[in-house]
Amino acid sequence: MFTLDAIIGILFNGIFYGSILFLIAAGLQLIFGVQRILNLACGSFYALGVYTGVTFIEFFMGIGLPHIYFIIALIIAGLILGFIGPIIERGILKPIYAREMEFQLLATFALVLIFEDVIRFVWGIYPKISKVSPVIYGELRIGATILPIYYIFVIVISLTIALFMGFMIKKTKLGKTLRAISDNREMSAALGVNVNKFYLLSFTIGTIMGTIGGSLMAPVTAAWLGLGVEIIVYAFAVVVIGGLGSMIGAFIGAMIVGVFKGLAIAIYPELEVLIIYAVVIAILIMKPSGLFGRIEE
Amino acid sequence: MGEKVARRDWIKVAGAGIVGLAIGAGATYGLMPPRVERIEVKPTPKPIPKEPLRLGVVTFLSGIPAPSGIAGLRAAEIWVDWTNAAGGILGRKVELLVEDESEGVEKSVERFKKLTVEKGCEAIFGTESTSTGLAFGKLAEEMQQLWLSWDGTTQQGLEETIPNKKFSFPSIYNEAEAVAGAVLVAKYFPNVKTVAGINDDYSYGRNCWEAFMSVLKTLRPEVVPVKELWPKLGESDFTSHIAALDAAKPDLIMSSFWAGHATIFLKQAAAVGLFKKYKGAMVTAGGVLPTLKKEFVPEGVLIGCNSWYFEHPLGWPLRDKFVKEYLRRYGEYPVYECDHAFFTFQAYKAAVEKAYALKGEWPTKEEIANQLRGIKVPSLSGYRGYREDNYQICNFFLGLSKHDPRYDFVTLDPLDMVPFELMCHPPEMKFHDWVKTWKS
Amino acid sequence: MKIDIIKEVSTIIPFKNTRFTSILIILFIIALIAPYVAPPFLTYILLTFFCYVPIVIGFNLLLGYTGLLSFGHGLFVAIGMYTSVYLMRNYGVTSIEIMLILAATLSALAGFGVGLLCIRYVRIFFAMLTLAFSMVFYSFLLKFYWLTGGDEGLGIYTRPALLGMKFDTLYIMDFLTKVYYYYVLAIMVILLIFMYRITTSHFGICLRAVKENPRKADESGLNVKKYRLYAFVISAIYTGIGGALLVQVTRHVVPAITYWTYSGEIVFMTLLGGFNYFTGPIIGAFVYIVLRDLIMSLTIYWRVILGVALLLIVIFVPGGLMGGAKSLSKLIIKKRESYEFS
Repeated sequence: MFTLDAIIGILFNGIFYGSILFLIAAGLQLIFGVQRILNLACGSFYALGVYTGVTFIEFFMGIGLPHIYFIIALIIAGLILGFIGPIIERGILKPIYAREMEFQLLATFALVLIFEDVIRFVWGIYPKISKVSPVIYGELRIGATILPIYYIFVIVISLTIALFMGFMIKKTKLGKTLRAISDNREMSAALGVNVNKFYLLSFTIGTIMGTIGGSLMAPVTAAWLGLGVEIIVYAFAVVVIGGLGSMIGAFIGAMIVGVFKGLAIAIYPELEVLIIYAVVIAILIMKPSGLFGRIEE
Repeated sequence: MGEKVARRDWIKVAGAGIVGLAIGAGATYGLMPPRVERIEVKPTPKPIPKEPLRLGVVTFLSGIPAPSGIAGLRAAEIWVDWTNAAGGILGRKVELLVEDESEGVEKSVERFKKLTVEKGCEAIFGTESTSTGLAFGKLAEEMQQLWLSWDGTTQQGLEETIPNKKFSFPSIYNEAEAVAGAVLVAKYFPNVKTVAGINDDYSYGRNCWEAFMSVLKTLRPEVVPVKELWPKLGESDFTSHIAALDAAKPDLIMSSFWAGHATIFLKQAAAVGLFKKYKGAMVTAGGVLPTLKKEFVPEGVLIGCNSWYFEHPLGWPLRDKFVKEYLRRYGEYPVYECDHAFFTFQAYKAAVEKAYALKGEWPTKEEIANQLRGIKVPSLSGYRGYREDNYQICNFFLGLSKHDPRYDFVTLDPLDMVPFELMCHPPEMKFHDWVKTWKS
Repeated sequence: MKIDIIKEVSTIIPFKNTRFTSILIILFIIALIAPYVAPPFLTYILLTFFCYVPIVIGFNLLLGYTGLLSFGHGLFVAIGMYTSVYLMRNYGVTSIEIMLILAATLSALAGFGVGLLCIRYVRIFFAMLTLAFSMVFYSFLLKFYWLTGGDEGLGIYTRPALLGMKFDTLYIMDFLTKVYYYYVLAIMVILLIFMYRITTSHFGICLRAVKENPRKADESGLNVKKYRLYAFVISAIYTGIGGALLVQVTRHVVPAITYWTYSGEIVFMTLLGGFNYFTGPIIGAFVYIVLRDLIMSLTIYWRVILGVALLLIVIFVPGGLMGGAKSLSKLIIKKRESYEFS
């Protein structure tokens, strides 16, 4: 039915989208894993990332930065945006850590509402689009299929972050501390861990993952209103499939969503959205904790 | 109908009552109740009300369709400024009351009622989404309130549910641009044999694809569809769709994307050179024309701009004046929703004036509606009007993309104006029966 | 003596209190005469509010009394709405009673199914699962457009018969604000009383025990999951009835009702009023609906206003408006006490 190069193209694009989804979902997972807060605003961080990325590209094109450095500019854009992390964590979340999780969820819901208007206020209502196209880094040809090198960069960056996160959580002292906090906050605090510091750290990293995911998409997509509210549905699908709080789950879940979506589009397009929900329902019924999650009562 | 007294009349009655009471008290006839009815039966026509004319607008101020909604609103504001500067409608100043459509049908219905009942708006303008359009069509008839749609009404829904429209004035048929696109595809790309479509997974997208294929097949019977993709509205990643389109290797790719997703799709398509390999027909992408930059939109793609193109070799003073004003105010080029919005207000003003000329006093909503049917007024894109069955009549502009050094986005050259009669079936026929008549 | 009464006003169980009862009676009389004294649009807003009352008190049976936060209650609102619309359009049903009963039944069934899968988990996982189910239903509504009308949704073009009486000749606003208004008011009062009975009954006390300490409740012989499931089903029924009442006001139903942001609004209303109080969500719904109506006309940046308001509540007044009023009255009492004793 499909030629080999077409199949490669379909899988490649699925993995590309999965890589972006992973970054958003990983931010969600990290924050949940450490702080036990389900961050509804993770989609808004992504949207902010796209908008800022577009603005950055425009700016650097204006001052004549060679195209080759754009990807660095975009990563910097994502990192700089991380500054909203500490503001939100210190200003909004810290006062309510002791509250029921309903309040924490609601606080992030409020952020979704606020960010939507902030974006509209700052960037206006028209879709914002960078003139830089993803082909700036050239392309790889496999038969008739063209794979833009930029997409490969994004996949590599995402994969690097995934490996780094995995390494950090499993092997380093920081990771051990984070896991300890995740398992038992009071105990960690009693043992002299500065829980507040680690909360700040994990929330900032979680924010940056979302904003970098967004800024990396800036050359690929347009920034438009509703971006944040829409992407979060996919991010939730990822974490339900992978299991809430699990980093490896986020990775596998993102790949499942990306590749399944790509395959459905190629084979039976009517199933495009439903296939993801079919997986979600199957997981919910058979293993509601997700593939790699654990659920505490 | 008879029992229903409009809000304005109530005010008048109340006002008359108070005046009557004051006179009565002053002349110490205190106990006599004021006889309001007597004032009503006087043969001399009522003078034109002094208070400003309130007109309501319900449109998308945020969310995905906001670029269209806000463009329409801006055009409405410019129209109001121009009209008020020229003395208003029959000397009445116009006042716009704006409400957001983006919170879904439930709240939009509430907004409609608020504008009508509480704010006393004489007519409601706007709407982008088909669902709001359906709800408003019904609501307008039920509430006996004029509603002049800008965009987004599915004729199937409205024809079924409101066969005799009295107060609701829907926009042009959904599939008009797809029909026009198919005609021009047959003209510009005569060798096309296989077509792939990517359209939004909702009524507008489905209508467009269906109409496009049935017209194209009528004109070029050898054409076959090879791929139909239905991403959901709000999708911002089309890389997988593009891979699937590429794998299908069609001669032509058709899409009815009309908002930011048209831009995103074209951009992501450029990454793999999709429209360099295959012909393209983006029948509604002109809705965001200023965002279709030359960097990622190649020349030779068929792009539809709905009822409006921002410049035209033949010239039209009203358009040029408007484009200049719009650029001055907002620093952006206007898009088609401006024309729809501007037209509805032009038509409303003309209908009021015509009805006034006949009657000699400020007309009722019903009288205005009667004048709106069959009206023809100058709008931004030229003369356009309403058909006898309340549907908008306008011509559509489509053309092939061109890289013009004067603009940073693609422009259209050659530009075609497709007349209304070629795109929209007559009211007494169904679309498919109408297309069949083309064959002879 | 005086102090006791003021204290009583702000306690969790309000109905035993005489002053509270008198407030209720006054409110009820205001509601009764509203259509004839208030402007029609205000009455219309009140009507919308009445329709939301079953939704929020149903929702709060889960959140406030059982400790389960559902982020997918739009699902049941939609079931109530689509059931009514379907009955009216496809089966020519006019009797609203039949619609309400069927809406309640279908909501109960759906609530049972979804609940069975969700109640195994609590807290964030429960919220997540309910959200997922609601979104699944959303995509179902969009995809099977030949059944559901897709994104356009379905409109209703006839009027329901209330208690077998038809009102087809009335002007639509008169029908809604002068006739349907009282019907909804009556149903709302019945549902309110019934819910109050539920929350003060043995069953309600058990629910609260489950909320406060599930392990202890389990040890003392309560079947925790069973109680959660019952609460979920009752909550679904209430929400479904609310949806069925609401759709007669909006006269159109779209899938957006099942989108996660709509469910977020229900949570918003409840928290605004205070979920620890029986009357909290009701006050929350009222304030939310009126406020939203006002600020939506005022500015296009109304989302940011709602968002900031929500943040302020979450951070500073976690008890919601009711909780805030309670602490305020406590404060006043304290001041008075110190004044009296000094």
